Amino acid sequence: MVRKSAAVGGLLLPLIVLTMLAPSVVFGASGGVSAPAEANVTVSAWQAALIAIGYYLANSCWLFGVAYFTLYRPLVAGFIVGCILGDPAQGTLVGAAINVPYLGFISAGGNLPVDPSLPGWIGTTIALAGHLSPASAVALAVPIGLLGTVLFYGRMAVDPIFAHWADARAEKGDIRGVAFMNVVPPQIFLFVISFVPVFFLALNGPSAVQDALNQLPFWVTNGLQIAGFILPAIGIALTMRFIFRGAVIPYFFVGFILWTLMNNPATGSDDSRVMITIAVLGLALASLHLTFAGARPTAAAVPEAARPATPALAEGGVRLTRGDILKSWALWTFFSQANYNYERLQGTGFAHAMTPIIKRLYTTPEEIRAALRRHLVFFNTEPNFGNVVQGAVIAMEEQRANGAPIDDDAINSVKSGLMGPMAGIGDSISQGTITPILLALGIGIAGATASVDIGSGSAAIPTLAAGASGNPIGAIVYAILISAAIISIGYVAWTQGYARGRGFVTDLLRSGAIDRVLVGAGVLGNMVLGALAGRFVVIYLAPTVNVAGASLNLQAGLLDPIFTGLLPLSIVLLTWWLLRRVSPLWLVIGYLAFSIFAAYPFFGPGQPANPASPQDQYQACTSSLLHPYYPCGAPPAAPSPSAAPSAAPSPSAAP
Amino acid sequence: MSLRLVRIDDRLIHGQVIAVWLRALGAQRIVIVDDNTARDEFLREVLTLASPPGVPVEVLGVNEGALRCIELAAAPEPVMVLARTPRTVLALRQAGVPIEVVDLGGLGAGPGRKRLHKTISVSPDELRELRELEELGTRVEVQIVADDRPIPFRSIDRG
Repeated sequence: MVRKSAAVGGLLLPLIVLTMLAPSVVFGASGGVSAPAEANVTVSAWQAALIAIGYYLANSCWLFGVAYFTLYRPLVAGFIVGCILGDPAQGTLVGAAINVPYLGFISAGGNLPVDPSLPGWIGTTIALAGHLSPASAVALAVPIGLLGTVLFYGRMAVDPIFAHWADARAEKGDIRGVAFMNVVPPQIFLFVISFVPVFFLALNGPSAVQDALNQLPFWVTNGLQIAGFILPAIGIALTMRFIFRGAVIPYFFVGFILWTLMNNPATGSDDSRVMITIAVLGLALASLHLTFAGARPTAAAVPEAARPATPALAEGGVRLTRGDILKSWALWTFFSQANYNYERLQGTGFAHAMTPIIKRLYTTPEEIRAALRRHLVFFNTEPNFGNVVQGAVIAMEEQRANGAPIDDDAINSVKSGLMGPMAGIGDSISQGTITPILLALGIGIAGATASVDIGSGSAAIPTLAAGASGNPIGAIVYAILISAAIISIGYVAWTQGYARGRGFVTDLLRSGAIDRVLVGAGVLGNMVLGALAGRFVVIYLAPTVNVAGASLNLQAGLLDPIFTGLLPLSIVLLTWWLLRRVSPLWLVIGYLAFSIFAAYPFFGPGQPANPASPQDQYQACTSSLLHPYYPCGAPPAAPSPSAAPSAAPSPSAAP
Repeated sequence: MSLRLVRIDDRLIHGQVIAVWLRALGAQRIVIVDDNTARDEFLREVLTLASPPGVPVEVLGVNEGALRCIELAAAPEPVMVLARTPRTVLALRQAGVPIEVVDLGGLGAGPGRKRLHKTISVSPDELRELRELEELGTRVEVQIVADDRPIPFRSIDRG
């Protein structure tokens, strides 16, 4: 814990230093300090408030269980911040770029390795308001994400209080009181701790960051750009831990190579179409793969008679209506994690979802008290696929209310025995497979390749090239597809769990259907992920060496003729290998440090003395180890009075 | 040492174990040691089916589990061992299973249980068993998922 806090503190430090560089801006007293040269940094109080509300909603319980899959993800957050700040296309582009390092993000069992949502909301705000390139935004988003983790852990530590308040209501047999405690106090608390910091960060962050960036040497901002093109390798490699396995591995390379073939940075090809093409090819290959290669052979089906039949309910007893079941499902889908906390995790959410069932089945205060108490204990599963557990428990409660000999132990053992395995399968399906694949697709559609101009003369912050623009459709398509998938899985699991009880679980697992879905998704996922690696991981070797009297640019003269994507592909595979040995947090720190180091102008002036001169531009481009903007191309012709300047290749036009 | 991870977790197999640990360790077999679970045919089947393709799961009682763990510890295949309670791990240790480190990964809260760290709470009995494990030379560490830094039990066990 201490070491982790130290690491968090260490990364928060740069952010604090950045804000301290412009204290007057941070504290809102702008008088006396002249605005920076690029004075387009404006986030109004209203816009900041909307962004802060958006961030709260992303972490709240009000979006029918899909907030975590939509607003929580930088791709969608970026689109909405873009709408708030008046540039949805650019917002989507920045959000997409920030999302790539978080592609393999998984939060399981109350553990949050990093927080993607704060970087999404605040990172996009800072980038849009400050006119930063998406790549710089990626690097800046890292420390912001650690602040988000602090907010999450604060909430997890405080929320047990509300669980105890719910206990007190349960002792009084107060059904509505339990429901109230699960939602209202924790959500008010969450609103306060999310709205306040995010409002001030959105209002003052952009100018503070811009001021700080203006004071950094040119090569350090270059280093941030380089980092923005290397950090995505971590997100891609984290996702690979799930799907880059077994027989489907080659599809990753197919996707990567297709991308490098179909994308031409010089002409600025239509990225959205390339990504959709690769995804459609992926679907076709997935179908072929399943047909001819197949998944794990299915276990033999158990004959109907061998299965323990659900005991029939006695005539004239209390029955649950379809409305009760659906109401319970809706309550769970909304509020399962409204009071997520270290002590019970989804415990109060489970009790809340059981309230319609308890109301229908039990009448005496004693029965109601006992039922509420029974369902307020520790519970945690994946709240979509894991719904089979609730469905089965509801069926058991119904039988119990009708006189079946089911005691507390029987119900508890089904809850505690099933919640784990169902979470394991559910997390692998929803967070581990469907989400990253759909995100990769959405990001692919959303983000054009971020290419940047070297900036004219004194401008310290490079600006986006005019051609690069985002496509909001990527964010919208992702949000619709993931919501539909998540809600359908949750609905089917809930109703089938109720109708068929525990038998549904074993039938489903035995049928091999889940394996087939995962293998098919693995084919598609690897294709799209490979393409995404090609797009977002960009590394250009800068130096030029003299070989036998001729100058040879390492990138243009040596690597490109072999395979353009050699370095990016190597770094992705290296990251994947390293992740088994090093934690992602240390990789992020290491890659950031390396990128800034690699941007130092070891071999010449870091900025062109005369930006109009190809010779000077080329010299600046090849002055460091790596370069973020573009391959420096072949060296321009030696400057001689007779050589026409137009004959020399301009770096910004070089492929 | 092919027992890559010996973990105490009252939920046995779940998201953290399947989605995070298994990937991080590259374990190729999961052995679950728990008397009650081994007796429950339904749970046994669910746990066996809940692992990803290619990673077999064995659910065993403490006695057979100890023999199997000793056998697997000597083989090269990387294995993950899961137990529900500190008592089970103590029993394995006493039966001669070579356990250098035991990972305290998840023990839920409840009446009479003291919170040690995040999602980990212990009863007085469990506390005693964990201390006994340390005395036997097995390091007890809290590490909820692979990306966390392990925290020595000693540093959070304050009487």
